[in-house]
Amino acid sequence: MKRFSNLSLKNKIFFSTLGVILMISAVIALLARGILVSSLTSELELRGVAIAHSIAERGGGYILDKKYPELLSLVFDEATLGERQHLITYIFILSKDEEVLCHTFTTPFPENLDKVNPVAEGGYKSVRLIDFGKSSAYDIAVPIKEGLYRIGTVHVGLSKVHIDKLVSTLRITFLGFISFVVVIIFLISHRLAKYITSPIAKLTRVSDELSRGNFDISLDMLSSDSGWDASECPVYHNTDFPCWHFDQALFKNDRDLTSHQDSQQCRNCHFYIKRDGDEVVQLADSFRNMVWSIKLYRRRLRESEEKYKSMFDSGPDPILVISCIDFRILDVNPRVSELYGYSREELIGAEFLLLGPESNIECIKAFEEYGGPSGCIYYPKILHHKKGGSAVYVNMHACPITYKSSPSMIVAITDITEIIEKDAQLVQAAKMKSLGEMSAGVAHEVNQPLNAIKMGSEFLALMAEQGRDVSADQLSEVANEVSTQVDRAAEIINALRAFGRKADFKVDKIDINEPLRSVLTLVTRQFELQNIIFEVGLTEGLPHIVAQDNRLQQVFFNLVNNARDAISEKREKSGLDTEEYIKINTYGESGGVCVRVSDSGVGITEEVRNKIFEPFFSTKEVGYGMGLGLAITYGIVRDYKGIVDIESDVGNGATFVISFPVASSEA
Amino acid sequence: MMKRILLLVLFLLLSCDRGVSVVVHEDENPGVFLDKVVLGSSLALKGHASYLGTQTLHGALAYINMVNEDAGVHGRKLELVTYDDSYDPPKCLINTQRLIIEDKVFALFGYVGTPTTVKVLPLVDAARIPLLGMFTGANALRKPFNRYVISVRPSYYKETKEAVRHMVQDLGLTKIAVFYQYDAFGFDGLTGTELALKDLGLEPVARGSYTRGSLDVAEGVARIKDSGAQAVFMIGTTVPCIKFIQEMNRAGVKPVYYTVSFIGAREFAKHLGKKSNDTVIMSQVVPPFTFSGDLKHSEANEYIQMLKSSYPDDNPSLVGLEGFFNARVLVEGLRRAGPDLTREKFVDAIESMGDYDLAPGVTISFDGKDHQGMDKVYFTRFNDGRFEVLVDWERLRRSIER
Repeated sequence: MKRFSNLSLKNKIFFSTLGVILMISAVIALLARGILVSSLTSELELRGVAIAHSIAERGGGYILDKKYPELLSLVFDEATLGERQHLITYIFILSKDEEVLCHTFTTPFPENLDKVNPVAEGGYKSVRLIDFGKSSAYDIAVPIKEGLYRIGTVHVGLSKVHIDKLVSTLRITFLGFISFVVVIIFLISHRLAKYITSPIAKLTRVSDELSRGNFDISLDMLSSDSGWDASECPVYHNTDFPCWHFDQALFKNDRDLTSHQDSQQCRNCHFYIKRDGDEVVQLADSFRNMVWSIKLYRRRLRESEEKYKSMFDSGPDPILVISCIDFRILDVNPRVSELYGYSREELIGAEFLLLGPESNIECIKAFEEYGGPSGCIYYPKILHHKKGGSAVYVNMHACPITYKSSPSMIVAITDITEIIEKDAQLVQAAKMKSLGEMSAGVAHEVNQPLNAIKMGSEFLALMAEQGRDVSADQLSEVANEVSTQVDRAAEIINALRAFGRKADFKVDKIDINEPLRSVLTLVTRQFELQNIIFEVGLTEGLPHIVAQDNRLQQVFFNLVNNARDAISEKREKSGLDTEEYIKINTYGESGGVCVRVSDSGVGITEEVRNKIFEPFFSTKEVGYGMGLGLAITYGIVRDYKGIVDIESDVGNGATFVISFPVASSEA
Repeated sequence: MMKRILLLVLFLLLSCDRGVSVVVHEDENPGVFLDKVVLGSSLALKGHASYLGTQTLHGALAYINMVNEDAGVHGRKLELVTYDDSYDPPKCLINTQRLIIEDKVFALFGYVGTPTTVKVLPLVDAARIPLLGMFTGANALRKPFNRYVISVRPSYYKETKEAVRHMVQDLGLTKIAVFYQYDAFGFDGLTGTELALKDLGLEPVARGSYTRGSLDVAEGVARIKDSGAQAVFMIGTTVPCIKFIQEMNRAGVKPVYYTVSFIGAREFAKHLGKKSNDTVIMSQVVPPFTFSGDLKHSEANEYIQMLKSSYPDDNPSLVGLEGFFNARVLVEGLRRAGPDLTREKFVDAIESMGDYDLAPGVTISFDGKDHQGMDKVYFTRFNDGRFEVLVDWERLRRSIER
C-alpha cells in the first residue's frame, strides 16, 4: 500500500483503472468461459445424441432386414457428413444381443468398447467418457427400438480432442477479445491518466520555477491562449494604485467598481474571466491568478523594502543591527560610519563592544537573557569610542527584532556629544555665577587668615621697632599662627579652585561625605557670618557610590545655596535676623546612600514644587537667579541614577533628600 | 503377422467423469510379410457391372501372376484378396472395412466404379491406407488432393472436356444433351460435361437420368428426345445406355452418342449389335487396339501376352489393359519402396515416378502434388460392330452431315 501511495498520480489512475478492468475482465472471462464451455460441450453432446437418434431411426429397418452393408453405409454417411467427420470419432451399432453389427473403425474393434457404456433398460441415452490411450471420446449410446422393444444400440463417439479444440478455440477467441479490450482500456487509461496529470505536472514545473524565483516564464506557460499580459495592469507598476481584486478585503468599503474611473480596465482583468473548460483548466486559471498575486505582492514587498531600506540608509541617526547570538554587528547604515569613523566593511562582523567597551556591556547583558527584553531599552548619555579612541556621547535605543530569522536587536544611536558639551558649559557658567556670588564670602573667609597673619606680622614689626626681644615662645607662637592661617587660606583657595574646575564626565567610586565636606569648607564661615548654623551629621563608613566628586560638590553647593536663599527670604519677610540652621545628614538606606539637606527657610509651595526642576524657573527676583540651579542638580543626580525627593512645609523650611544607588562591588 | 498390441494402462479416472478406458489394437505396417505383401480389392465380380470388374481383375492378375512367378518384389509375392461388391457402394464399404480390419491388407488396389470407390474414401482417410488404380475417373478421387489415393487413369472431367472440344470444334455439334446414371458417377460426368461446355459458353440442352442398377430409361428419353440434341453424352453403364439408344431410335431420334471409358467397349459393341448404324464415340484412357492389325508392336502387346498365359480363355480388352497398367504401377511402386516396405514409403515411391514408361509410348508420372498418372485421352468410334480408333474427325463430320 505504501508503494502504491508513492506512485505518481498518473500511475495511480493508470494502475487502478487497469486493475479494475483486469479484475472485471477476469470475472467476465471466468463466468463467460464457464457458461460458454459448458453450453458448448452440452450442445455438442446434444448433436451426438441427435446423430445417434437419426441413425437409430433410419437404421432400424436395416437391422431387421439384416442389411448390414447398408447399415454400415448409413453409419459411414452419418459419420463423415460434412464437418461431422472431425467431431465423430466412431459410430458402432450393437444388436439386441450386444453383438457388434457394424462400426466405423479402421482398426479391430477395441476390446470391451461394446460393453463399457450400456444403456439401461428403458433408458433414453447414456454418455460416458472413453479413453483410448492416445485419444479419448465421449461415447453416447442411444437404443434402437422397434415399438417398445430394443433391437439394438447406436454408439456415437464424439472426439474429445475435437471438443477440446473447439473449446480452446472459443477460449482463445474469448481471451483474445478480453485481451483486446484490456489493451484498448490500457491505452485509454494511459491517455486519460496522461491527460489528467500532464497539466498537474506542468503546474508542478511552474511552481518549481516560481520557488526558484522565476516569475516571468510561468504566466506564459499557463495562459498561452490569452492575449492578456498581467504586467500591463496598472497595479503592477503603481504600488499606490489598489488592485480591486486583491485589495477588496482591505478596502471593502471603498470598493465601488462601477463608479471608479479605472473600473473598465479591471473588467478586462483576467481574474473576472472564467475560461470554459474542465477542472484542469480551472486549476490552471486559479494557479495563474495565484502566480499573479504572488508576483504583485512580491513587487509591492520589494518596493516597501526599498522604501524602508532607503530610510535605513538615509536616516539622520546611526542605526545598527546586532545579532543577539554573538553580539556582532550585522548591518549598519552610513551614519554609523560617519559617526564612528569605521568603514562599513570594518563594522560588519565586528563586535558590538568595539564601539563602547564599557557602556555596551550592560546592553549586551540585557539581551543575553533568554528572549531578551520585551520592549526597547533606552541608554542615555553613554560613552562610545570612535575609531582612534576619541570619545563620543550618545543616547542609545536598543530594540529586539528578528533579523534574518535569528534574534537580533536594532540599535538606534543619537550623538549627544555636542549637547553634553553645551550642558557642561552651562553648568560651568552656573558654577561661575555661584562663585561670583560667593566671592564676597570667600574674600571674607580669606581675609580672616590674612588679618591674623597681618596681626602677627605687625606684632613682630612692633617688637622690632621697639627693640624688644621677642621671646622664642612668642616667636614660635606667631610663626605657628601664621602658618596655620596660611594653610587655612590655601585650603579655601584649593576648595574654590576645585569647585571652579570644569568637570569632565569621568565617574569614580566615591564616599558621598567627601564632596559635602569640600562644600562646607567653602561656605561654613560665610554662612555663620549670616547667622546660619550648619548642623552636620555625617555617617562614616557609608558604601561608595558611582559619581564624580566635582559634580556632586555642585549639587550640594546648589542645595545649601538654595537653603540660604530660602532663609534669607524668610528673614526679609519677617525682618528679623533670627538664628537659622541648615541640617545636613548622610545615611544609608535600603541599598542606597542618602543625603538629607533641611533648612528652616520659607519652604516650597505645592505650585512651585511641580516646576522646581524646570530650567530657568526661579522664584527669585529677576536678575538674581538664572533658574538653572536645581535643574542642573536634578540632571546631575539623574546622571548618577539618583533620585531627588522634596519634603516641604510652607513656612517651616524644606528638605531635599537625594539618594544614590550603591556602587556594585565588581564595577 | 507382425502384431503388436499396445496395452495402455491408464490411470483411474475420476468417478464423476464416468470415464473408462478400452484397449485399442493397432497394427503396425499391416499386410507386409517377409514372403508376401497382401493387397485388397473390392470390385464388381457379379451383376451388371461384372464385366468391368472381371476384366480389370484379370488384367491386373495377368501382370501380378507373372511377377509372382518371377519371385515377386523384394522377395515378396503379391497376394490380392478380392471381394465382390456387385457395384453396390454399401457392399464395397463393408468389404473394404473387412479388408482393412480382418485381412489387414497393405493397400487397396483395383477398385471399380465411382460410387463404390467414393464411398470408401472416408475409410481410406481414417486408415491411412493407400488406394491405387481405381477404374473410375471420378473427380472426388482427385480433388481435394489425398496423399493415399493414387489414380492412374485420367479423370472423367478430362475425358468429357476432350469429348466436348471434339464435338463442338471438330464436328460442329453445339446442342449437347447429357444422359447420366443418378449417382456419384453420373454426377461426375455431368459436371465434367457442364464445365467443358461452360468453357465454350454453352450449356447442355437437356439432362436425363436413370437409377443405378435399373433399366428405366424412359424418363431420360422423354427429356432428351425432343430437345433437339445433336449429341448425347451418356454417363452410365452398358445395358441402360444400350437401352437408351434403342429407345431413342424407336423415337426416331438419331444423335451422335458419346460415352466415357467406364464402359467396356467390347461388351457395348456386342450389345449394340453388328447391324447398328448409330454413331457412337467412346473415349479411352489407355491406348486402344484392334485385332485387325499386328499387335506385336502395340502398346498392349505385353498385356495380351500375359493375359494369354494367365487367362487363356479371355479376350484382351481395353478394360483389362487398364487393370494391367494399374498392376504395373503397383509393382513399380512396391519395387521403388524398397525391402523395408511401409505404406508411407510406398506412397513416396509412387510419388517418385516421373515419366515412367508403362508401355511403349505410354508414360506415367506422379509427384507429391499430383496423384494423377496418365493424362492422355483416346477416342474410338463404333463402326461395323466394333470400336475402331478414331483419328479422322473430319471424315466423321462429313459422314454425320450426310
